[in-house]
Amino acid sequence: MQLSNACTHGTVQSDDANEPEVRHKPLFSGRATTIMRVAIAGLALFVCAVAYATYEYYNSPYWNAVGMAVDQPVLFSHRHHAGELQIDCRYCHTTVENAAFAGMPSTHTCMTCHSQIFTHTKMLQPVVFSAERNAPLHWNRVNNLPDHVYFNHSIHVAKGVSCTTCHGPIDQMALTAKGQPLTMRWCLDCHRNPSPELRAHNIEINHLTNCTTCHH
Amino acid sequence: MGASFALAGISGCNRQPAKEIVPFTNPPEAGLGREGLYYASAYSREGYARGILVEAHSGRPTKIEGNPNHPESLGATDAETQASVLSLYDPDRSQTPMHGPSTATWIDFENDWAPRRTALAQAHGAGFAVLTEPTTSPTLLREIDALLQRWPEARWYQHTALARYDDDGTQTDYDFENADIIVSFDADFLIAHPAALRYSRKFVQRRRRENNNAGPNRLYVAEPTLTLTGAIADARLALAPTEIADLIEQLDRAFGLGTDDAAPASAGRSAPHGSQRDAFIQALARDLKAHAPRVALVSSNTLHSESRTVLHDLHHRLGALGVAVKESPAVRSDSDARARGDLHALVDAIEAGEVSTLFILETNPVYASNRGRFAEALIRVKHAVHLGTRRDETAHRCHWHLPASHYLESWGDLRAFEGTASIVQPLVEPLYQTRNAAQILRLVTGLPAKSDYDMVRETWSRNAASSFDEDWRDWLDQGVVPNAVASRIIPQRRVASATTTAPRASTLAASETKTMFALFRLDPNIGAGEGSNNPWLQELPKPFTHLVWDNAALLSTATAQHLSLENGDVAEFVAADASLHAPIWIVAGQSDNCVILPLGYGRTAAGSVGNNHGFDAFAFAPPDGAQQLALREIRKTGKKHPLVSTHGHSEMEGRDLARVISVDTKATEPAGETEMSLYPDVHYTSYAWGMSIDLTSCTGCNACVIACQAENNIPTVGKEQVSREREMHWIRIDRYISETPNGTRVVHQPVPCMHCEHAPCELVCPVAATVHSSEGLNEMVYNRCVGTRYCSNNCPYKVRRFNFLDFREPAGSTVYLQKNPNVSIRDRGVMEKCTYCVQRINAGRIRAERENRTVRDGEILTACQQVCPTEAIVFGDLSDPQSKVSRRKREPGDYALLAELNTRPRTTYLPKQINPPSALPV
Repeated sequence: MQLSNACTHGTVQSDDANEPEVRHKPLFSGRATTIMRVAIAGLALFVCAVAYATYEYYNSPYWNAVGMAVDQPVLFSHRHHAGELQIDCRYCHTTVENAAFAGMPSTHTCMTCHSQIFTHTKMLQPVVFSAERNAPLHWNRVNNLPDHVYFNHSIHVAKGVSCTTCHGPIDQMALTAKGQPLTMRWCLDCHRNPSPELRAHNIEINHLTNCTTCHH
Repeated sequence: MGASFALAGISGCNRQPAKEIVPFTNPPEAGLGREGLYYASAYSREGYARGILVEAHSGRPTKIEGNPNHPESLGATDAETQASVLSLYDPDRSQTPMHGPSTATWIDFENDWAPRRTALAQAHGAGFAVLTEPTTSPTLLREIDALLQRWPEARWYQHTALARYDDDGTQTDYDFENADIIVSFDADFLIAHPAALRYSRKFVQRRRRENNNAGPNRLYVAEPTLTLTGAIADARLALAPTEIADLIEQLDRAFGLGTDDAAPASAGRSAPHGSQRDAFIQALARDLKAHAPRVALVSSNTLHSESRTVLHDLHHRLGALGVAVKESPAVRSDSDARARGDLHALVDAIEAGEVSTLFILETNPVYASNRGRFAEALIRVKHAVHLGTRRDETAHRCHWHLPASHYLESWGDLRAFEGTASIVQPLVEPLYQTRNAAQILRLVTGLPAKSDYDMVRETWSRNAASSFDEDWRDWLDQGVVPNAVASRIIPQRRVASATTTAPRASTLAASETKTMFALFRLDPNIGAGEGSNNPWLQELPKPFTHLVWDNAALLSTATAQHLSLENGDVAEFVAADASLHAPIWIVAGQSDNCVILPLGYGRTAAGSVGNNHGFDAFAFAPPDGAQQLALREIRKTGKKHPLVSTHGHSEMEGRDLARVISVDTKATEPAGETEMSLYPDVHYTSYAWGMSIDLTSCTGCNACVIACQAENNIPTVGKEQVSREREMHWIRIDRYISETPNGTRVVHQPVPCMHCEHAPCELVCPVAATVHSSEGLNEMVYNRCVGTRYCSNNCPYKVRRFNFLDFREPAGSTVYLQKNPNVSIRDRGVMEKCTYCVQRINAGRIRAERENRTVRDGEILTACQQVCPTEAIVFGDLSDPQSKVSRRKREPGDYALLAELNTRPRTTYLPKQINPPSALPV
C-alpha cells in the first residue's frame, strides 16, 4: 500500500486488502502545483504588466503625441525663425510675460517682415491672403491642455522656467511638435521639486501642489 | 445601449481632440490675449446713471463691477446692475424688425415709413406722438428736441411704471454723513432709490464701530410693509398709509406749535398699537429736537403730496436744508416742459383722436400700466411702432416692432441722481440688427442717419474745449464727465408747466383707516417686469419671503389668521369694480390694514424665462394710476398655488446665530483659547485667507448673491428644482425675524462657505475631492468628485451645492458668452461651493509674484466683497496683522457661526449693532 501516493494522487483506496491493487492514473501530474503557482503568479504579473503598460502608454510621449508635427495652414519653421534668425520668442508671442495665454502672432505681425521678404513665394500665400482679405489664419493647436486646467504662462516665465523646458528644443523644430507629454504627472514632477528646471531659485513651493493652483 | 457604451469607451480613450487657435489679422488697440480688461460705462437705473466697470474677456462682456470714481456707485453695484450683463445674451432678444407677425428688415421699415413721414412733415407732425421713459440722457433729449423743432405739432409723452423722485421738478437729496437722526416715511431709500448705493454706504459708515467718530445715527421707519430699509431701523412702526399721513401731521403739530410734547395728538385714538406708536413719536420728536439740524426726513412718492409738503416744511423748520438735505432741480425729464404729460395724457389724446401715429420707445405700457387702459387706446392708433429689446406685450400690439440695442452694445450718455454725467460706452458691436432710441428719432423725421457714437460725440463737442478729443478719452477712461464740463453742455432744466402731471393724489380720507387697502409695489427683484426674463433675478430669493419665480399677495399674520389663510392659499381680492385671484404669503412686520400686491409678474410676452409666472397686479391696479386700492373683501377660494421659498424658518430657536447688540453695551471679547480637537493641525507658512462679515453693515440687498452667480458661472435651476432644495447659490442670505418693543427686528446674515480649519467635509470624502490647501482654503476638486454627497451631509453650515441634474444651458446657447473663462462649468453629479473666488486669489498672487512682491491688502477682492454697497464683507490675509480683515477680526464681538462645533471657520461675523431710542426699551 502506498498510502501517501494514494492520497496525493487521489486514487480510490479499497477496503479489501485481498483485492489486487488498482492504480489509477493521477488526475494531476507531480508538476501541477508548480505549474499552478507559476500560472497564478504569471497571471497576476500579466495583469499588473498590462495595467502598468497601459498607464505608461497613456503617459508615453507616443500617446501624448510628443514629437509629432501637427499639420498647419502655413509651413512655418521655428528652426528658421527662432533658431537660425534668432528672433526672440516674445516678438511673436507677445503676452507670454504678462498673461495666461502666450499669444499667437496676428497676421499683421507676420507682415512686418513678410510684406518685404518672400512676399510672393507660394509658401507664404496663406498669410498674404489673410492680410488681404482680413481673414484670420486657423492654426492647429500643438500644445493643448484640458479645459479644467488653468495654466498661466506669465508666472512660469517670471519664475525662471525656460520656454524649452516645456516646449522642447523649439529652435530646432522645422515643423512644430509637442516637446513634453504635458500630463498631470509631468506637471507635478516639477511643481513638487521645481529647482532643477528653474533659472532662478527664489520660489515658495508650498502652494504649488494645492489643487486650486491649477483647477478652479 | 451597448453601442453607446462602446462609443463612450472609444471617445474616452481618444487622443485629445484637435483644436484651433485663430489669432487676429490686426490686433485690437487693447492688445492681444490680455485677460480681464475693464471698460468704464454707465448702467441706467430707472433712467439715472450708475457708474460701472465692465470686465471683458476676448472682447465679450462677462461681469459688471462698480466704478469707484462714480459718485452713485463708489465701487459697488446692486443685484439688478449685476444681472444686466446676462440680458445682453438673452436668447429671447429681438433680432430683426417685425412687421406684424412676420420678420422684416430695416430697409422694409424705412420704405414703409418714408411716405408716412412725408405726409406727417406736411402737417408739421400733427397727429404724431412719441412715448419714452423719463430720461437723463442729454443726447436723447437733444434728439427729442430736434424732432419737436422740426415737427412743432408733434407730441412727446413719458411713461414709467417705476417711482418718481421729484416734486414738480425739484428733487431732494440726502447726505447721511451729516444726519444723526433719519426718519423714513415709507421710503426704501437704501434699496429702491437711484442713489441707493451712495445712501447705503454713507448711512452704514455712521453705524460701524470702526469709524465711529460722530456717534452712531438712528433710523426711525414708519411703513406699511417690511422693506430692507425698515429691517435695519432702530425703531420701526408698521402703519397703513393713512396712519403714516396722521403721523406726519402729528409731527407737524409737535414742531409747528412750539409745544414740547407731541403725545396728546394721538391720545384720543384707539389704534391697536397706540402705546408703541406714542412711544415712537415721543422718542422721535425728542430726537429731532435734540439733533436738529442734523436730521433727515425721507419720503417717497407713495406718500400723499400734502404729507410731502409737510415734510418739506419740517426740513425748513428744523434747519436741515443744506446740512443733511439738499434740494435741486430734477435731473430726470419727468417734469420737462416740452413733454405733454404721462400715459394718461396720451390715452386722453388718443381717445380725442389727436394721435394717429405713435412711436413707443423702450417702454412697455401695454403691460406696465394699470388695468389695460392703454392697450384699449392703442387699438385706435392708426400706425404704432415699438422699439424694444424684446418682443413684449406692447410689441405684439404694434404694427411694427424694431429691435433695440442693449446698453453694452450702443453708445449713449446718462446723468446720475446727483447730476454727474457719464458716457455709456459699449463693449461689443450690436449682436443683432439693433438700433437705439436716438437713432430712431432721427429716422422718424428723416434727418440724415448717424451712428450712435457720432451722436453722443456731437452732443458733447458742442461748446467743448479745443482739447475735446483728449477730454473725451479721459471721460471714457474715468467713467465720469467733470461737472464743470457737463454744466456747459446740459441746458438748465425748464421747470414744469401745468400740463405735466403732479403725483397722483390718493383718494383716501383719514376716516377710512379701517378699510383694507391693496398697495401696489414694484417687485424687489424684477421691478415692473424689466427683469422678468432674467433667470438670475427670478431665482434670487426675495427679501423676507425668500420666494422665487413667483409673486404673492403679502398679508400680515393677524389678517391671515382672521381669514384663516395659510401660505400658498389662493384668495380672491375684491374691489369696487374688479377682483383678483392671488396666492398669499404671510409676512412679519406688516400693517394689518393692507395687502401688498407686487407688480411685475403675470407676463405673457416677456420671453421663455419670464412668461406665466405669478399674477398680474397691474390688471387689478386702479385705472387712475394710484398705487393703492380700497378692498371690499378678501375671500378664501380653497385653492392652493405652489409657492416656493428657499428659507422657511425665521427664528434662531434659542441659538446665537446672528447676534445683535446695542451700541452702548460692551461687546464680548473674541474668544482667545481654542478647544482641543482630534483633527490634524495644519501649520501655515504663507498667506492665510479669511473673511469677516459685519452684520451691522449688511442690509440684505442680495447684490452679493448675484455677483457670485455672475463670477462663478453658477446655474439657475428653475422653480421645481428649487422646491426640491436644489438651488445652486454659493452664498445665501439667512434672515431671522423677531418682534421687539421697537418693532419687527430683522437680522440678515450672509452665509458663504466658512472655509473651516477643521472642516468636517474634508474627512468624509472617500475620493479626496475636497481637501485643505496650504493657505487654509477648503478646496473643491470637481474632476475628482464622484457625487457621494457625504461632504454636504457633514457640513453644519449647509453651504455645499450639488448638481443633481445637468443644469448647463444647451450647447451653443448665447448665454455661454457671459461665462467667466477662469471658472470651470460644472457637470451633473458634482459638488460645488464657495471657493473664496480662488481664481481671483490666483490672479492676484500671480500679479504680485510677477512684480516680485507679496499680495497687498485689498488687492484681491472676492466678488461678494467687491459688489457690497456697505463694505460688509472684507476678505484678506489673516497672517498679516495689519490687514483690514485681521483688524476686523480683532474688533470686540467677533464670533464664529456654530463655534461650539469647533470647526474653526475662517469666515467670522461681527454682531449687528443697533441704536434704539433710549425712551423705548431695547
